[in-house]
Amino acid sequence: MQETLMLGENELVSHVIFGWDPLWVSSILFVTTYALIVSEKVNRAIVAGLGAGLMVALGVLNQETAISGIDFNTLGLLAGMMVIVAITRGSGIFQYVAVWSAKKVDASPWGILFMLSLVTALFSSLLDNVTTVLLIAPVTLLISHELKIDPYPFLFAEIIASNIGGTATLIGDPPNIMIGSAVNLSFNDFLFNLAPIVPVILAVMLGIIYLVWGRSMHATAEARKRIMHFKERDAITDVRLLKQSLLVLALVISGFVLAHPLQLEPATIAMFGAALLLFLSNLKNNAEEQSKEVEKTFGNVEWTTIFFFIGLFIAVKGIEEAGVLRILAQLVIDSTDGDLAVTALAILWISAVASAVVDNIPFVATMIPVIKSMAPTFGGAEYLMPLWWSLALGACLGGNGSLVGASANLIVAGFAERAGHRIGFMKFMLMAFPMMLLSMVIASVYVYLRYL
Amino acid sequence: MNLEQVLIPTRVATAGMTVRELFEECSRANSPGLPFSDDNGRIAGRITLKNILKSVCLPDYLVEMVRILGEQPSSLQDMEDQVKQILNNPVDPYIQEPHLSITSGSSVVKAMALMEQSDTSYIFVVDEERYLGVVTIHNLASKLVHLDKPS
Repeated sequence: MQETLMLGENELVSHVIFGWDPLWVSSILFVTTYALIVSEKVNRAIVAGLGAGLMVALGVLNQETAISGIDFNTLGLLAGMMVIVAITRGSGIFQYVAVWSAKKVDASPWGILFMLSLVTALFSSLLDNVTTVLLIAPVTLLISHELKIDPYPFLFAEIIASNIGGTATLIGDPPNIMIGSAVNLSFNDFLFNLAPIVPVILAVMLGIIYLVWGRSMHATAEARKRIMHFKERDAITDVRLLKQSLLVLALVISGFVLAHPLQLEPATIAMFGAALLLFLSNLKNNAEEQSKEVEKTFGNVEWTTIFFFIGLFIAVKGIEEAGVLRILAQLVIDSTDGDLAVTALAILWISAVASAVVDNIPFVATMIPVIKSMAPTFGGAEYLMPLWWSLALGACLGGNGSLVGASANLIVAGFAERAGHRIGFMKFMLMAFPMMLLSMVIASVYVYLRYL
Repeated sequence: MNLEQVLIPTRVATAGMTVRELFEECSRANSPGLPFSDDNGRIAGRITLKNILKSVCLPDYLVEMVRILGEQPSSLQDMEDQVKQILNNPVDPYIQEPHLSITSGSSVVKAMALMEQSDTSYIFVVDEERYLGVVTIHNLASKLVHLDKPS
């Protein structure tokens, strides 16, 4: 049996089995997919893949429409940056910078916490947050062990800093990549619109951490001396690779900045950078060694995340084509009386609270078409910018609200637990959630003053 | 040469065996670990020196950051204290999944191939759930050096 859906100017023929209503079928499929992702009982890539497969198998989407829902710019940017980071981290540069920064403050405990937080925020704005904390957490645990200080305040500060730093740029956090790709926002757009508020929020958060823990942090002169004896130079395992990586990273960042004049998409720049770094780092290898190295590098790409995105994009396309998201958008507009300021602030706060408790990636994937469909209400796509910045700020900063708010938070908690320092869910949330709300207050003022 | 000629008979670890006893037995037999036998006498796992030492004094972050350590970091000095504290504790918390095993009738080459496949330097010899001993690369090499000498 067939059912025809009228979707705006396009007429798409849907073949939902048994003639079921595509609106309901897609909604049930999507909610079930979402619930399973949130439950974390089944790997999220498997869940998204099954959800996407069923959207097509049950006839909500045909294969062509399903494929058109996949944002290859997001995937290309993610995969390209993953390859670049996978190769670059092998040079040891990130550990070098972390240890160097700790020594720059004469190994004073608060100084180290401050510097490692800054380094985390900086790295997070250029790398993905999970990679950043994977690089910073071991340095932190080693330093706190040497200083004989509880690592909790350090790790807490780094979690907060990673989510704040990731907010600043197009490539800092997956929600920004998704928003940038969907709305065709450049690296510079994010830099000009989100980066200015990031240092303010980070400073306030670090101020609070100083008042709570920083003032009472002390280490013996002997312990500090041990840190000063660290040999950060030894962290650099391959000077040649280091130079190649830094060159390519610089080219890629420059490419992002100049993307519009160059008329290049971020994904093209990232993928080209990845290919160039693979080429340079394998120059000295013969064919067999190259195959091994390339395979090893691709093994470090987070394919789970890539396939999760693919499944998710198709699942979201399913509810979009079935008209669910238009209904959702209308509900949001009705509840805010079509007021842009109220809608922007509502999106900011709802995104933050939602991102504190569930994965922000599916949330943002769902919100993007919802916001897009609000364009006619607010007079056109160009008037939606406050909503996009609100979504980005809320989704990225909201990750600080709880231990499950961002993958990076869980990575740090796992690392700490294996080292015998458990980070309790409630202990973290009691401090982090109010701090996240405070960052939302700052973000609200920023969005209101700048855009509304 | 067959497996029985190169295997080293050892004790099996059982519930309640102390870390000290396991260290002593492994040192005596020059084996990286011992099979763990449950109450019914079945091989239910293994306990290795490497896993005990890693669990006790080698946190992930230390392994990750080892290159930058200075000459005398406290993390390494703590090692002796940490091991001292667990010597008289039971080995039970360090049980891992059962290790590679082979029957005594198998060839030495098969044992070597299995070790290579699993990237390990030792293999337990077990006949119908009866543990006979361990074959290690070291022991194999110590037998091989005598091959060119008259028997």
